[in-house]
Amino acid sequence: MARISPRLIKDAYSISPLLPYFLRANPNISLAKQELKWVQEELPQSEWRKAARSRHNLYPLQYILGSQPFGSLDIICKEKVLIPRPETEEWVLRLCSVLKESAQNLSIVDACTGTGCIALLAKHELKDSAKVAAFDISTDAYQLSMLNRDAHKLDVNIVKADLSEPAQLMHICSSFDLILSNPPYIPLSDYKLPVTLNGIEKSVRKFEPKSALVGEMEFYDLLVQNLVRPFGASGFVFELGYREQAEFIRKQFCEEEWGSGILKDYSGNVRCSIGWKRGSNLDILERLCDEVL
Amino acid sequence: MLVRSIYRGIRSEFGRNVFGYGCRSSRGISTNALGINMDELPKLHPSLLKRAETLRVELEDLETKITSGTFDQETNVKFSTISSILEEFAKYENYRENVASIIEMLNEENGNDQEIIDDCVSELKEYIPKLISATSKVQVKLIPKVSNYDKPTIMELRPGVGGSEAQIFTNDLLSMYINFANTKRWGWEIISKTEGTLGGLTEAILSVNEPGSYDVLRHESGVHRVQRVPATETKGRTHTSTAAVVVLPKLSEGNESSLLEDERQFAPGEIRIDTMRSGGKGGQHVNTTDSAVRLTHIPTGIQVQQQDERSQPRNKAKAFSILRSRLAALDREREIAEQKSLRTTQVSTTDRSDKIRTYNYSQNRVTDHRCGFSLHDLEGCLSGEKLEDIIEAVEQEEVRERIESL
Repeated sequence: MARISPRLIKDAYSISPLLPYFLRANPNISLAKQELKWVQEELPQSEWRKAARSRHNLYPLQYILGSQPFGSLDIICKEKVLIPRPETEEWVLRLCSVLKESAQNLSIVDACTGTGCIALLAKHELKDSAKVAAFDISTDAYQLSMLNRDAHKLDVNIVKADLSEPAQLMHICSSFDLILSNPPYIPLSDYKLPVTLNGIEKSVRKFEPKSALVGEMEFYDLLVQNLVRPFGASGFVFELGYREQAEFIRKQFCEEEWGSGILKDYSGNVRCSIGWKRGSNLDILERLCDEVL
Repeated sequence: MLVRSIYRGIRSEFGRNVFGYGCRSSRGISTNALGINMDELPKLHPSLLKRAETLRVELEDLETKITSGTFDQETNVKFSTISSILEEFAKYENYRENVASIIEMLNEENGNDQEIIDDCVSELKEYIPKLISATSKVQVKLIPKVSNYDKPTIMELRPGVGGSEAQIFTNDLLSMYINFANTKRWGWEIISKTEGTLGGLTEAILSVNEPGSYDVLRHESGVHRVQRVPATETKGRTHTSTAAVVVLPKLSEGNESSLLEDERQFAPGEIRIDTMRSGGKGGQHVNTTDSAVRLTHIPTGIQVQQQDERSQPRNKAKAFSILRSRLAALDREREIAEQKSLRTTQVSTTDRSDKIRTYNYSQNRVTDHRCGFSLHDLEGCLSGEKLEDIIEAVEQEEVRERIESL
């Protein structure tokens, strides 16, 4: 982390005595001001100092404020559950706008749902044209996603289930058309590296659950073997962080039966692997692809 | 003689200029024995009369349409607006006929019967003011409306010259418009606000959500000047600072549901959208709170940046709404420039570069330079209660200018 100059601290202090605390997480003063403003808007004055101190320790702002906007929903955020990312928000909204145009009576499941953000936003956007279910292995995530579901009064079936136990999954529903997931996708080697070496941010490593972050190919393997195949799905969108993961997923399917592509996020990074059964009503997913594999 | 003096009394009471078009050319043309001339009374410009005629035809068309069973929102709204204009026009015609018949009676009488003259005078006393007010009302209604007049408003406020004092003045202007919206019971919200030093603002964008507020607030567009002793001044000197106000019609709500439609207004590749690029790999690797969105409209080079909301799509929606408003304002400027180049006489401009108003604290005075109107109640102006008086004066000046240029 770059050193913060005493000058910058002085400047920040002259604007507000609380502002220097935000400089470690945001070396840019206008961003720090923005964060302080949100803290002051959303929390009572008695908690500002505590919030500033936590932020100085790189504690995530979303845990301090207790929420993160996701599409038009405000998702409640708590420790031990991954905070929804803007990249995820972007692809879910793009997916929904494609599905809204044509797909009807879809049955969707969101695996490793965490806060429930993907499933809840999909239900919120698609309304009655889709039946949505979600599951997560973590008790904290399960409870938080239920809390979020009730806060937004959305009809999403949430269960606690393990992706590696096909028997548990059978309880949710007998078939799904579309499988969505944002599974852990950071290889352990990168988990230990700083962000400048394509690793992860200190704040993420220190405060977000490792179990929601570390994974390589195993989760994609499970998603294909235990969800896509047995449930007869005709499409999937899986978030990922590396081109190798997209290529790994591609190899699981026969090219004649399945089309597959990559979606890139607003920063131009490889973000999702998309697959659709050729000739099914989900071949509209091809429109989401920035690159067909 | 008596009649003439009363007539003069009426005229001086309302001022010569309120008589409107036609009162200028009266002197020396045929007058009756008592010196009252129909030409001297307010009347409408021939092109406005023509417009009233076309409106009447249009109304008939709409009527046949409605009786034949067509029923939709648009026809209905059109029907009611046109009929309200024609109602005012009928009032104007009615008063004018009344006054004309009284004058005719005076002409015939030629000053022989004092009782009849007295009656006529008292009737004139009643009808001439009514005719004056009806004329100015119908004039405003008959002049074609500016585009987007029925829309809500976006106001952008920025400090000009004068450093932190200009920033403080920008804040004062913002609260003036908020107060004004409150007194009119109009809904408003602050779209974004960047605070500077010492309680000033480096930028503020205010949205006034009342449909039609644009037609009132658009007169506020321009450079506002303040003359006062700033709180930071130690030697008691008066400083002059400025702030710029840009008023735009609000074309979209600026929320997630309007975003899709806003994006559709532009051809692919016309807009470049820049968001914060996540460091490194993005996604799960980083947790950013930077949700700023910057739009660049490539054909015009206009840039809009929004970062106040924690949600990136919300910032994007707001930015799109502001961009559309700015482009609409640009269209309007172009329209005005075209009309102006068609005219032979140059009318005074309401160009953005001109200062439009001065707020002088030591004299407790607000002067609008476009119409020369001065309000000697600065407090009342800043509290939003008296601002309407100034805006009305500017509006009348605009109507007069537009009639002249017809």
